[in-house]
Amino acid sequence: MIPELLRIALLGGIVAVDRTAGWNLMLSQPLVGACLAGALIRPGPEWELWALRVPIAVGAILQLLLTNSALPAAQRPHDTAAAGVIGSSVALLGLMRLHPILPVSAAGLLWVVVGVAAGLVAAVLGGWFARFSRGAVSSTAGRADALAERGALGSFERLYWGGLLRLFVGGALWAWGGTLLLLGFALWLLPLLAVVFTARRAGILFAVLLGTALAAAFHVHVRGRARGLRWAALGAIVTVLVLRAFHAAAESGAAGGDAP
Amino acid sequence: MSELAPDVAHERPPVALRAGDLARVASRSFQLQALLSPERMQGLGFGFAILPVIRRLYHDPASRGDALKRHLRYFATHPVLSGFVLGSAARLEERRANGAPVTDDAIDSYKRALASPLAALGDPLFWVTLRPLAGLLGVLAVALLPRPATGEPDLRALLCPLVLVLTYNAVALPYRWIGVSRGYEHADRPDVLLRSLRLPELTTFLEGAGAFVFGSLLVLLAAGLDVASSAWGRQAGGRMLEAAPLLLGALIGFVGMRRWPSRSVEVGLAALFAGALLAAWALIP
Repeated sequence: MIPELLRIALLGGIVAVDRTAGWNLMLSQPLVGACLAGALIRPGPEWELWALRVPIAVGAILQLLLTNSALPAAQRPHDTAAAGVIGSSVALLGLMRLHPILPVSAAGLLWVVVGVAAGLVAAVLGGWFARFSRGAVSSTAGRADALAERGALGSFERLYWGGLLRLFVGGALWAWGGTLLLLGFALWLLPLLAVVFTARRAGILFAVLLGTALAAAFHVHVRGRARGLRWAALGAIVTVLVLRAFHAAAESGAAGGDAP
Repeated sequence: MSELAPDVAHERPPVALRAGDLARVASRSFQLQALLSPERMQGLGFGFAILPVIRRLYHDPASRGDALKRHLRYFATHPVLSGFVLGSAARLEERRANGAPVTDDAIDSYKRALASPLAALGDPLFWVTLRPLAGLLGVLAVALLPRPATGEPDLRALLCPLVLVLTYNAVALPYRWIGVSRGYEHADRPDVLLRSLRLPELTTFLEGAGAFVFGSLLVLLAAGLDVASSAWGRQAGGRMLEAAPLLLGALIGFVGMRRWPSRSVEVGLAALFAGALLAAWALIP
């Protein structure tokens, strides 16, 4: 498991820098982090299907849930970057280890639910972690002033790159530690609840989460937007028309194929 | 002419910034928040980003240190639009280095005056509208792209994140790259600079696009549930029971996010808990 955890740590460091240092290339979005984690874990050919499918579903639900329409200053400090990486990693690593007890064929959606739950918890814990590491920057400002006073531009530059490195290492450590912590918890708890987790119950949990995620997206994209409902209705109508056109084309194609 | 020549010979030749210096400033602006702190916000990052300009314009350690100190003060704007302030500040530094009477306070006031409206215009565009829209398009791609046949790799794992990243950066990256040079060119007319960006118009357009995509996503999901099928008429009760968890989740999300808009994680965890209760309900086999 060490190579997987090292890759997760590397990804955690990159997404942390993207989110906090100002790159803002959106590598830190839950959907991206979850899919990249799935690709990096590479659990082997026998898990190939789930290694890609579970992270997509975990990432998509976390993406809708964690997208916040409030301005960053008004938001609670949640670590959305680590949420996708940790959620997806916990789901995949747990799936590989608990397969004999919780077979994927019976409860594939269960691992999506486990991944989303791990991602949500990681977002809260990561927010505390980020707040703690930000506190260390205040003392750096004094050192930067002293270096500017001496005209030591090179030293100031090194101090700054050191701050960037600290963000990377902090993100990597959190992704590594958070995955281990939540995976350990999942490996302890899930076997105890194995009898309860039928495929149907996992499906219910997944549907509840999907409904919540869609409602969250409604608040972000429609409610409170200028003419939001009108645009959403237009989008729905256009999609219905396009789907009907595709359906009709497919049917006429099939009828043409049946003709002698 | 011959009388003036000795004076001119003693004067320092005018220094000018090069395109390469501005490009280096633009590339450094990507690290603007590495040392973000509540006291200075992006102040240290601004100093770091403008270092290539300071190195080009000043040559002795004392003046370089003074110039760096000027830029380590409090500074806060939208990171994507920070290049416009960096470019304008670079122009002011160039003038000062060439002997123009530009004081420390004048540079600081100029930076703050430009940074505030850019933050006010950038936050609604990039954080509140474009980032959610990019995420929604990534999720829409999950619903839109076909599932792979058995044995084939699921390319959605690559394409959906790519859609998200490309959508956001197609809008944001041009602002980042042109920001420093445009700020440098228009340093004397910040009002013209701000108007030329047309940020409010872009925000309005992207808001409509976000709602449009949401409507489209709902239809695609409903198509997956096959709500148009005649089975819904024949087995309405059973079908509604199947849709009940989805509706329960939607209700939790709708009420929860309406009351606590910034507590999406907590609402998500509450939904998970409610779902677990529903799933554990004795009537469900």
